[in-house]
Amino acid sequence: MTSATVSVVGQTKESTVRTGRIVLYVALTVGAILMITPFLWMVLTAFKSELEITKFSWLPGELRWSNFVEAMQTAPFLRYFRNSLIIAVGETAFTLAVCTTAGYALAKLPIRGAKALLSYFILLLLVPFQIILVPLFLIVKSVPLFGGNNILGQGGIGWLNSWWGLIIPLGAAPLFTFLARQFYVSIPNELAQAARVDGLGEFGIFWRIMTPLIKPALITICVFQIEAAWNGFLWPLMITTSDSMRPLQLGLAIFAQNPAEVQWPYLMAGTALATLPMIVMFVFAQKRFVEGMANVGIKG
Amino acid sequence: MSATLERPGPALATPRTVAPGKDSRRLIRGQVRAGWLLIAPALLHSGIFIVIPVVFAIGLSFTDYSFGDSWAWVGFQNYVDLYNDQDFRAALVNTILYAVVVIPISMALSLLIALGLNQKIRGLGFFRTAFYIPTVTATVAVATIWLWIYNPGSGLANGFLSLFGFAPSAWLSDPGTALPSLMVVGIWQGLGTKIIIYLAALQGVSRDLVESASLDGAGRWQRFAHVTWPALGPVQFFVLITSIVGTFQVFDLVYVMTKGGPGTETTVLVLEIYQNAFQALRLGYASAETVIMMILIAIFIGLGRLLQRADVND
Repeated sequence: MTSATVSVVGQTKESTVRTGRIVLYVALTVGAILMITPFLWMVLTAFKSELEITKFSWLPGELRWSNFVEAMQTAPFLRYFRNSLIIAVGETAFTLAVCTTAGYALAKLPIRGAKALLSYFILLLLVPFQIILVPLFLIVKSVPLFGGNNILGQGGIGWLNSWWGLIIPLGAAPLFTFLARQFYVSIPNELAQAARVDGLGEFGIFWRIMTPLIKPALITICVFQIEAAWNGFLWPLMITTSDSMRPLQLGLAIFAQNPAEVQWPYLMAGTALATLPMIVMFVFAQKRFVEGMANVGIKG
Repeated sequence: MSATLERPGPALATPRTVAPGKDSRRLIRGQVRAGWLLIAPALLHSGIFIVIPVVFAIGLSFTDYSFGDSWAWVGFQNYVDLYNDQDFRAALVNTILYAVVVIPISMALSLLIALGLNQKIRGLGFFRTAFYIPTVTATVAVATIWLWIYNPGSGLANGFLSLFGFAPSAWLSDPGTALPSLMVVGIWQGLGTKIIIYLAALQGVSRDLVESASLDGAGRWQRFAHVTWPALGPVQFFVLITSIVGTFQVFDLVYVMTKGGPGTETTVLVLEIYQNAFQALRLGYASAETVIMMILIAIFIGLGRLLQRADVND
């Protein structure tokens, strides 16, 4: 802070500033502790024995690493992990492809009614997933020529219980088109013009000139989409029927299904393992991520 | 900007236009074609997986469809039935209560925290991550942890309260505390995203404006009320809308923690819809419920807009 020139006034001001800082730090720290405690508790519980968890305690008597190993063996966690990974990667790739192209077209190309199209995508942001749940299920069930369906989409199960069904309907959310568009808009047109004069085609301009400039947006889209896919629950619950397709969250929920028989240490070990990748990802991406969010909010 | 097709004639052509006439027209036609090609997949996808389902949901709500081959139009019968359905009423009341409590508290709290984090402080990355951790974590995992925290016998909540001599509570199985317990988790989990959005917006509030206000002798509170708060307008709206949509969608939390119990104390709309559609297989009925939910969300968003407009007029 700036040093005060008038000493007496300066000192009282400085001391109130200092008290203010201390209050701020204490408040933020208490808040942070409230946010983290449940996780700490989860990790600590994951190390406890069945006996220890029957009454309240903080620290485990000994660190039972074997809980993690046994948890992995009780349920096919490795398979759940793999499934979640496939869904997350698939959905993110799909989203990046569809949403950056659409966002670019909305922001930089002279298509008729670009304004109206933008309003359309913003309006779609407001449609909650649950509202379209039932019809979406029926549509996915009747995708033609998949899962034993005929060309009219009858007779089979369509995309139910398939990677297609898990990945495609939930990818490419309008939010990401909107987000990408907000970023492309802020890039000066001269760049594209110069490239045009140099004879680069429209797709080349999009792919080689403009898209590399919106890295924060791409990172934000990736973080959001991976997170959403990793944490998805309701949709996979509805459309998967076989254990071999189930993602992580369903595996965990099935673990907690019967309150009388829940093996808490195992469940906590599984939950900790499921959460860890997302936390690590956020720690690495947080700075770019905040930049990314800034553009959606401000220019929205 | 490039020249547009609507331009009347060469008289108005600016010297900037590199190649007048046919060449630039061909260039623009190329851009338009590329534009439609690039936006087509997104339009197709949103049409098939969002717009058609919405229309479809409205149509289904007037039928008695239940996955079978035969179905019939039933007019407004589903809506009449809904009106008399006690479970649906409970879900409606609980969802509105949940939204009305969770939205204001979480918005106020997250704005406060964001203001705190917007100061020049040490450990910003740590705080940011700490407040965001609950958000990156799957709701199922969050719900599981809190299920255990609320465990009446050996959970953290009762363990903590017993330090101060409070009697243990049954939390989720006590009708009086079940819904509030869920609200606490909802607020706790939702803070992260809102904090990040507010923080990003605060960094965009012009420093010059804030500084000139403080040179004019504006106090901390005045600076907030007259400079920062108005500048946050569009972001407030964004946060409000996503919060409304988010709280009405609450499902995973309830599904894992209470399944709507005890009794119907914590059933919410989406849980009702899910149970009717996929357990009772009454798709028409469930669609009618979703239509009601859609109307409700529209009303809430309308109210939010009114609030915002009133705020701007001040």
